[in-house]
Amino acid sequence: MKAPPFIYHRPETLDDALALLAEHGDEAKVLAGGQSLIPLMALRMGRPAHVVDLGAIDGLAEITEADGAVSLGPLVRHEQANRSDVIAQHAPLVAQTMPHVAHRAIRTQGTVLGSIAHGDPAAEMPAVVIATGATLTATSSSGERTIAAAEFFEGYLDTALRSDEILTDVTFPAWPSTAVSSVVEVARRHGDYALVGVVTTLDITDDIVTDAALAYFGAASTAIRVSAAEQSLIGSSPSREAFDAAATIVAAELAPPADIHGSTAYRKHLAGVLTTRGLTAAVDSIGVPA
Amino acid sequence: MTDTQSSRLAAETATGGSIVDVSFTVNGSATSVTVEARRTLSDVIREDCELTGTHLGCEHGVCGACTVLVDGQPSRSCLMLAAQAEGRDITTIEGLAGPDGELHPVQQAMMDAHGFQCAFCSPGFLMSTVALLDENPDPTSEEIREELSGNLCRCTGYQSIVDGVERAVKIMKGGSK
Amino acid sequence: MSANTSGLVGQSVKRVEDDRLLVGNGRYVADVNPPGVLHAVFLRSPLAHATITSIDATAARRAPGVVAIFTGSDMEAITHPFPPFAMQPDLYTPLYYCLSSTTVRMVGDPVALVLAESRHLAEDALELIEVDYEPLDTVASIAEGLSPTKPQLWEKANGNVLYDHVHTFAPGNESVDAVFAGADRVITERLSCPRQSNQPMETRGSVVEVDPDTGHMTIHNATQSSHMLRWIGAALTGKQSTREAAKGIIANKERRKAFLAGAKSFLKENAEGLKAQDNDGMKSQLKADKSFLKHANLIGVGLLGKDDYPDVVAQDIGGGFGAKGSIAREDVALIAAAGELGRSVKWIEDRVENLMDGGQAREEDLTLSIAVDDDGTFRGLKVDLVIDQGAYPGFPVGAPLASAIMKVMFPGSYNWDAFEMRSRIVATNKGKYVAYRGPWANETWARERMVDIVARALKMSPAEIRLKNLIGDDQMPTAMITGPKIDETMSTKKTLERALELLDIDQFERDRDTALAENHYLGLGIASYHEAAPGPPGYWECVNPGTETLLNEEAQATVETDGSVVVYTSQMPHGQSHETTYGQIVADELGVAIEDVKLVFGDTRRTPFSILGTGGSRGGPIGGGAMKYASRAVREQLVDAASKLLEADVADIEIVNGNVHVAGVPARGVTFAELIAQTAGDGFEATRSYRGKGDGGWSVATHACIVDVDLDTGKVTFPRYLVVEDCGPIINPAIVDGQVRGGVAQGIGAVLYERATYDDDANLQSATYMDYLIPTSMEIPEIEVHHMETLSPGGENDFRGVGEGGMIGAPAAITNAIEDALSPFGARITSQYLPPTKILELAGVISPD
Ligand SMILES: Cc1cc2nc3c(=O)[nH]c(=O)nc-3n(C[C@H](O)[C@H](O)[C@H](O)COP(=O)(O)OP(=O)(O)OC[C@H]3O[C@@H](n4cnc5c(N)ncnc54)[C@H](O)[C@@H]3O)c2cc1C
Ligand code: FES
Ligand code: FES
Repeated sequence: MKAPPFIYHRPETLDDALALLAEHGDEAKVLAGGQSLIPLMALRMGRPAHVVDLGAIDGLAEITEADGAVSLGPLVRHEQANRSDVIAQHAPLVAQTMPHVAHRAIRTQGTVLGSIAHGDPAAEMPAVVIATGATLTATSSSGERTIAAAEFFEGYLDTALRSDEILTDVTFPAWPSTAVSSVVEVARRHGDYALVGVVTTLDITDDIVTDAALAYFGAASTAIRVSAAEQSLIGSSPSREAFDAAATIVAAELAPPADIHGSTAYRKHLAGVLTTRGLTAAVDSIGVPA
Repeated sequence: MTDTQSSRLAAETATGGSIVDVSFTVNGSATSVTVEARRTLSDVIREDCELTGTHLGCEHGVCGACTVLVDGQPSRSCLMLAAQAEGRDITTIEGLAGPDGELHPVQQAMMDAHGFQCAFCSPGFLMSTVALLDENPDPTSEEIREELSGNLCRCTGYQSIVDGVERAVKIMKGGSK
Repeated sequence: MSANTSGLVGQSVKRVEDDRLLVGNGRYVADVNPPGVLHAVFLRSPLAHATITSIDATAARRAPGVVAIFTGSDMEAITHPFPPFAMQPDLYTPLYYCLSSTTVRMVGDPVALVLAESRHLAEDALELIEVDYEPLDTVASIAEGLSPTKPQLWEKANGNVLYDHVHTFAPGNESVDAVFAGADRVITERLSCPRQSNQPMETRGSVVEVDPDTGHMTIHNATQSSHMLRWIGAALTGKQSTREAAKGIIANKERRKAFLAGAKSFLKENAEGLKAQDNDGMKSQLKADKSFLKHANLIGVGLLGKDDYPDVVAQDIGGGFGAKGSIAREDVALIAAAGELGRSVKWIEDRVENLMDGGQAREEDLTLSIAVDDDGTFRGLKVDLVIDQGAYPGFPVGAPLASAIMKVMFPGSYNWDAFEMRSRIVATNKGKYVAYRGPWANETWARERMVDIVARALKMSPAEIRLKNLIGDDQMPTAMITGPKIDETMSTKKTLERALELLDIDQFERDRDTALAENHYLGLGIASYHEAAPGPPGYWECVNPGTETLLNEEAQATVETDGSVVVYTSQMPHGQSHETTYGQIVADELGVAIEDVKLVFGDTRRTPFSILGTGGSRGGPIGGGAMKYASRAVREQLVDAASKLLEADVADIEIVNGNVHVAGVPARGVTFAELIAQTAGDGFEATRSYRGKGDGGWSVATHACIVDVDLDTGKVTFPRYLVVEDCGPIINPAIVDGQVRGGVAQGIGAVLYERATYDDDANLQSATYMDYLIPTSMEIPEIEVHHMETLSPGGENDFRGVGEGGMIGAPAAITNAIEDALSPFGARITSQYLPPTKILELAGVISPD
């Protein structure tokens, strides 16, 4: 199980990296933490002719906060995010998510932006991105563009990134003081990619839900929100009945693909169960009785 | 370079893949190697550095047998290109015992607790445990189980390994090292 | 005789092995790198069943670093096919070569071997070999294996059913059918166990080192049996024409003599067994396929004509669980290739290969009928077993042996009036079926599952029905209905009674009620069994006539001139800690510290011969016994020499801490080295052969567990898991606990996580560790192990095996507990594999897709 040969590039500036991508296009792959790309290459399921390692470029591991919005650079590792005070304070949902991603020895190398760029439908971060409406910045040698969360994930392991682009930034909007959130999932084993999981955010003012996001992973070919269920919550006060009603909508709307680890019926059911659990966990965190 | 090594390098060059020079520290010794870019850190540790205490159980990130410390952080050596280790500080199982052969408390504890059977998984568990206790010197048994869940063992059913970590906590608290 | 020991046996002595293993100084096969070694990779079939219409390696041969490529036809020219090994009446064992040349029968079937200067380069070249396949219809399940309309995997077989035999045991006056007719009722259920895989953390591997000057081969290999690999490796490689072989035989008089003498004594010692095998088993084989005779002749002549045989050296092994007891096709291909090239070659299997072809097990359908009276008395048992052997028979043993053991063990520790079992083995397009820790374990699973089903039908508790039917002490000594003798050491009933004491049933009932509020359902399950560890004398004759003689273990103990104690075994440790347990035994016998005992194993140049190596729970009882008697004989020699030197009576000599002296006068003592020097001896040596004790030989256990089933998610956890086991006197309690817990963990894996999954066209779906799920420390609970140490009246050397039992009992206890948990829904558990989807289907929460 050894990767096929490739030309290895270790640029020291982002411009050099972008120039390499511009030159090699589809033949090239960006290497960030390598926790998804390297096993794919070892299995010879991925065979880029050129590998552009971002590792030697300074300044890509920054976590910054401006007006409450938190931005992460492409070399911020999951474990770095897990321990970041800025994230704990200003992007609590990202902090809640990190312990769910794989195991520590993978989180120390794997990057948050790599998770997003890879676009695995069973991964947690894409769901966080769509739940929060984060903004993604893609940079190529011809410039920068921002992509809205809702436009980013196009299909199974497929995103709006072009082959000459690097995802250089993800910015999570300022976290409202009225917001609560949770991440719940069920995996076959602890630390595995989830069978189904849900990222939940609720904005609650005077005991009324003013905004809601329910973003599922492992439930479709991309991370996916179920707006009918979200709508059903808005305007009501958080309660077990409201949560169960949302869960019923979710279980009816989603038709997750089956694989050897779970049937469609099972995943559908699980999506419903996790909806209730996720909503309950979210409100638990602020002590609102459900 | 022996004949075999140079003929291998010639063949590797002929594949068209990059050959790279990489320098890093392994268990305190500065090391430089010239290898194919596709070689993983585990390939290089085992073959070029001849440190065979790091094991390969799956080469796709799941079993954890290949876990080493990279700048003190537990990492899968099978999921890192050697080239990515440029300038890093690597610790393997061979680097745990003292220079005089004195066992690291985690090694001593695993021996006391009959932690392993075939011990093929042991390098990964030892390195993960060292990393865990470095950061959390007094974990609960639930925390130990959670942290070690990134490492597979087929022989023991894990309890003896968890016991070993608990024993290591005691030894280390006793201030023996 | 006052055996004067240092009292190590019975203590949790620290492991000797850990001195090297825990510092990274182990030497596993992947760590062996002879100079100039070539790296091997096998090209494997992507299709489950196909004809190879052409294979072209031209481009691959030109790839950088490639030294040689062998295809199936290249290998047919220089190797012999794997012959049938343990023949049985009504069994046909197909013959197959190390690489496939015309037909592939499974995903992962090896069709070519590439040797290159690195593993990386070899994998590159692999992609350049062009193979044209013409797909054939596949046989993907037991049902398809039984179906007459499916294509046949083996030309000379009669369909895909390779074995079909009925065994009947009705010792009383009544026939089986009469017993069934006379019982109050008959309860029948069809149970099935999906495919599992042994999955040691170290994959398979072999390094064939060729001495560049002499051409002599040394095979470094992760094998459970180095002697078998040596001889089978030699036998199947280096194919010669009869003429060449004859020349070799004539040229090599000395070797011929030695070989013939060896063969003669083997034949003499094993005459009974070989005769038993010869008769009906051989007839069945020859009826289907006579080619075996031709190959056997060529193999024999070829072996005689060889002027050198390889040696095998096995060092540290990263687990095996049965999978490394087989001689692999890859092993043979590598030896042949190394011989052709005159160069060292190395193959370390990767995990994907291991999941395809490293050994799979347990896939069986079992239909059980129990004839029972209304008061719960068992009368008769009928079993219809079908084993899915996969594409290639394991060598030397696999499905036929599993079925033969099941035939003996199925009745378990219960009383029956009659027992009948039909066994069939089918060939399918899947990975090969090998022995996996307790290869017969599904008899325990199916029987204990069925006992619960019967109890439920009769409205009895699982404990009550077991206590009523288990063979009790008052009946001892007796025999199983299938033949093997049973005495008081078979204490199954006592382990159950003890387990029932340990369980707090009232507390369980309270917890069960509380859990309901959270949509969690608790259940309690038990399973009781005995296992041959290694079985009483005569046991193996009941299993497979002729095999009993193979059980023998030999040990050699020596004191070298420098006084060091070196002992030799043909056992092959791979996690069982033989260096420690044998060290304890020898240290006690010889009065030395365990650190002073060195165990030599795995090296055919130095260790005594045994065809089996490690397997069959023989390490403690037989290997340990041989070790004990060999070191005791050396002790007698030491004492004898010392009595002369010190002019004291033999009875007055003591050995304490390596000091041989007159009792009570340690100052007048000598060390072993001094004793040897002063008596002008050249050391002491004794070899002892042992076939086990005259009684006992059973290990027994009851597993009891409480499961917690979350009906929201279908996930199952274990609030409590306990094992009460009796393996006689324990050599090292920590090691025994480890063996039991490790086995239970594999049982938990089997029921809740692990499945070698194939789709309807026999494509493997679980080819990585993302899909074949080995449970982690978060899934395996704490497992309580309670010991009973029943001694046999015979006394000494009462050790019994303990490596397999954990895995044997666990699936039954767990599935019984889950059925109990789901009893409010009337769930009936008939499959051993219960992933979350299945749990929710059983509870009626969801419907199948
Ligand atoms: C055993 C195991 C378990 C895992 N479990 C989980 C889990 O439970 N949840 C989970 O979310 N993940 C899991 N992962 C994946 C892990 O989190 C990866 O780290 C992550 O998905 C990818 O991040 P990376 O930095 O390693 O990316 P890489 O492997 O370096 O790259 C992945 C892909 O993204 C591209 N890419 C990376 N960064 C950029 C960028 N900045 N711009 C453009 N393209 C880019 C690469 O070209 C490549 O195609 C697991 C991995 C393993 C090995
Ligand atoms: S070998 Fe690296 S995780 Fe298994
Ligand atoms: S001790 Fe054998 S795999 Fe862990």
